[in-house]
Amino acid sequence: MSATAMNATTIDRSSRTARARAAPKRGTLAAELESDPNLSSAKRQQRVKALSAQVTQASLERQLAAAHSARAELEARLRERDAAIERLESDRRWIADREREANEQRERESEQHEEDKAKLDAELGSLRATASALREQHRDLEDEYAALARSTSQTISAQQAQIATLTEQAALLDGQLAQAKQTAADRGAQLADLQAQLDDARSAHATPAHAEGDDWAIVRTELAKQAEHMRALEARNAKMAAELRARRERDASVDVLREQNRELQRRAQAADDLREHAARLEAEVQTLTRERDRWAAEEPGPSTPSKTPVAVTQTLSKLRLEHQQLLEEHGATAALLRQRDNELKSAEQQIDELQDELENVTTELDALRAKVARSDRSAALMEREVAFLKDMVASLTAEEASQNDRHVDDLAAQQIQQLDALVAEYKATVQGLRDELDTLSNDTSFVQHVRPLQDDLAAERAARADAEQALASAQEAAESKIDALEQALFDLRGEIGAGQHVPPGVRVLSLAENPAKEWFDRSDAAMARLRGENAALLARLKQLEASGARAAGGGEDLVPRASLDVAEQEKAALAEELKDKEKRMLRLRQVFNNKSAEFREAVEEILGVKLAFYASGDIRVTPQYDLSAQFVFKRQGNEARMQLVKQGAGGPEDLPHLIRYWIGEEQCIPGFIASVILESYEAVRRQQHAAD
Amino acid sequence: MPPTKQANRQAITLKGSTNLVTEFFKYAANTILFQRGVYPADDFQMVKKYGQTVLVTQDLALESYLDKILKQVNKWLLTGSITQLVLAIISKDSRVTLERWVFDVTLVEQPTNTESSAPAPAKPEAEIQAEIRNILKQIVSTVTFLPVIDEPTVFNILAYTSESAEVPANEWVDTDPLAIEAGKSQQVKLRNFSTDVHRIEAMVAYRYEG
Repeated sequence: MSATAMNATTIDRSSRTARARAAPKRGTLAAELESDPNLSSAKRQQRVKALSAQVTQASLERQLAAAHSARAELEARLRERDAAIERLESDRRWIADREREANEQRERESEQHEEDKAKLDAELGSLRATASALREQHRDLEDEYAALARSTSQTISAQQAQIATLTEQAALLDGQLAQAKQTAADRGAQLADLQAQLDDARSAHATPAHAEGDDWAIVRTELAKQAEHMRALEARNAKMAAELRARRERDASVDVLREQNRELQRRAQAADDLREHAARLEAEVQTLTRERDRWAAEEPGPSTPSKTPVAVTQTLSKLRLEHQQLLEEHGATAALLRQRDNELKSAEQQIDELQDELENVTTELDALRAKVARSDRSAALMEREVAFLKDMVASLTAEEASQNDRHVDDLAAQQIQQLDALVAEYKATVQGLRDELDTLSNDTSFVQHVRPLQDDLAAERAARADAEQALASAQEAAESKIDALEQALFDLRGEIGAGQHVPPGVRVLSLAENPAKEWFDRSDAAMARLRGENAALLARLKQLEASGARAAGGGEDLVPRASLDVAEQEKAALAEELKDKEKRMLRLRQVFNNKSAEFREAVEEILGVKLAFYASGDIRVTPQYDLSAQFVFKRQGNEARMQLVKQGAGGPEDLPHLIRYWIGEEQCIPGFIASVILESYEAVRRQQHAAD
Repeated sequence: MPPTKQANRQAITLKGSTNLVTEFFKYAANTILFQRGVYPADDFQMVKKYGQTVLVTQDLALESYLDKILKQVNKWLLTGSITQLVLAIISKDSRVTLERWVFDVTLVEQPTNTESSAPAPAKPEAEIQAEIRNILKQIVSTVTFLPVIDEPTVFNILAYTSESAEVPANEWVDTDPLAIEAGKSQQVKLRNFSTDVHRIEAMVAYRYEG
């Protein structure tokens, strides 16, 4: 730049010397022109030429100067541009730094976020896994529960059936038990007999063996006596029972006889009727015989039989025959009647006898029953005694065993063997009876009839169980198939939902102007713009690199047109945004002002004070009823404490007192303000009253 | 004239049902856009609807876009030519579809009633509203299990129509179904609701790279 300036000054200087040189030359030329016209014309021509050359030179100089000035101007502009570029570059650097910082921060944040996300994802995964596991568990438990419920219901029904069969069985067994008891009682009686026999035998056998046989003999004789008595009683009892049965039968026959008696009485009544009839007939016969006698007296002798009509004789003979017949009948009935009467009498007698006998028998039976009861009691007593004695014997044998081992052992062993054999025999008999019972129950036709039915039933049950099992398995298979199909359906729907499959015959449409498209268009346009700018910048860079320092002359192509356009568009967009923001701000401010005015009005109306907020943070409070009294409060530090810093001229009379009390002592500004308002209101009221 | 009366009733029912379904789509779309953060939360304001608070956008451009779509959807519903409405959420940077909210539309089969048999009793509106409420609540609750979206997103609404549907030229265009990449999609079936005429089944499919 300095070199060009110097160049300009040297050009100035040379032009000036040329002009200085030209001035004296003109003077001589003019003199010569005046002296010689030829010369002068030539000289004029020369001068004209010189002038024109001078003019052209001057114009060239002017052009040069203009070019210089233009160059200087352009240089200045270039400098400005450079400065602007520098500024922009610094801005860009600053922005790039900011961007880098922001990027770093964003990266940091994104890293942290990624970490967090990974952590959360892991957590989510684990939670999902646990959730699925829990779900699985839940399903398992449900299945188990259903299975258990099924099995319990089955077992319940099975048990109910079993209970029913068992109750039946129990009833059967009860019957059997009763029978068995009966047989056991019989057996017991037999056993007692046998025991008694055994005891007798033993006593017979053992008396000489023992020294203390006397006691035993007494006991045994007593026992034998008791047993005999018992047997006698039992025999008698049996006899009496047989007799009772016979009596009962006879009683039944008495009933039959009574019936017969009634029948006979009926017949006797019929015979009475007949007798009456016979008496009537006799009377008739008598009258007839009398009549005949009379007739015979009136017509004596049979010499005149021709006088009597034949019909009369015929009827007479017929009547006689009838009479005879009736008489015969009467005799027969009378005989029968007498026979019946006799029979009746004998039957009545028999009945009386039987009744007497029955009474006798019942009394006897009662007596026997009482006797049996007594003997039962005594038998129980005896049994107890026997048990006691057995115990005693056992103790004695034990004692003796301790003294004299072998002898007793043999005896005891014999006794035990005998008893064992007896027990075995009884068991065998019982078993035999049972077998008999079983064979009887098995052999019955009913069982034979029932068995095939039972077999059929069992077969049916088995078939049903099989069928149920098959059904359950089929159901399970179907359920699993349904599950699989549902899963497949869900997957397919998901596929359609995810948009991977478009059903045939369906068009997928969207609005031509949609947000996605707008966004993508916008971003595409921005990208294209940036690409253009980039390409232009690269081209410019290449150009600059190629031209090197020489390019300093052309200032206009320094920034490519594309970036300028971009910058201008951005500027316009930003300006638009700024305008919007300002508008919004203005609106908000308006709203805020309205609201704050509203608030102040509300405070004024409700609390009776006018508030004014200063920019310094001071707050002026003016009571509504006394506008001259003004108090200015200031916020004290960061705490929400106010301090009275100034006060106006007016106010109630005892204001100093109020200030001292409320502010000084109580430090309660609301109380102070309230009392000031009250005071000023009262003052106003007083003034109004005075004015009225 | 019983047949015309019946037809009239039918038409009114269809229209009423269509309006109900369209309204549901509006609130469902708004709820999804709010819950999935497609638009800033400040753009939404609370509105009382279906007996609960629903957030509805105040963005005028979005509002007019939804209105335009729903008007056409209403027409398609009346002609029964729409089978599905899909709200796809797309990543702004990668242009990958992240979520597809699918609403299957099926016509409820009307029982072929003869003259004698009485028409099926109309479903009470309160019940329908309860079903809609449940779907909206479920949409809100899906935030708990859907992957967190931490990138700027944009959305598009697709309509699956039959070939024979009347399509306003230049306004609606055939488009890509914006499918979620196969193998990376998971889906959750949501509740459904039905009117006397339509049955809407909701579902969300989302991209999940476990």
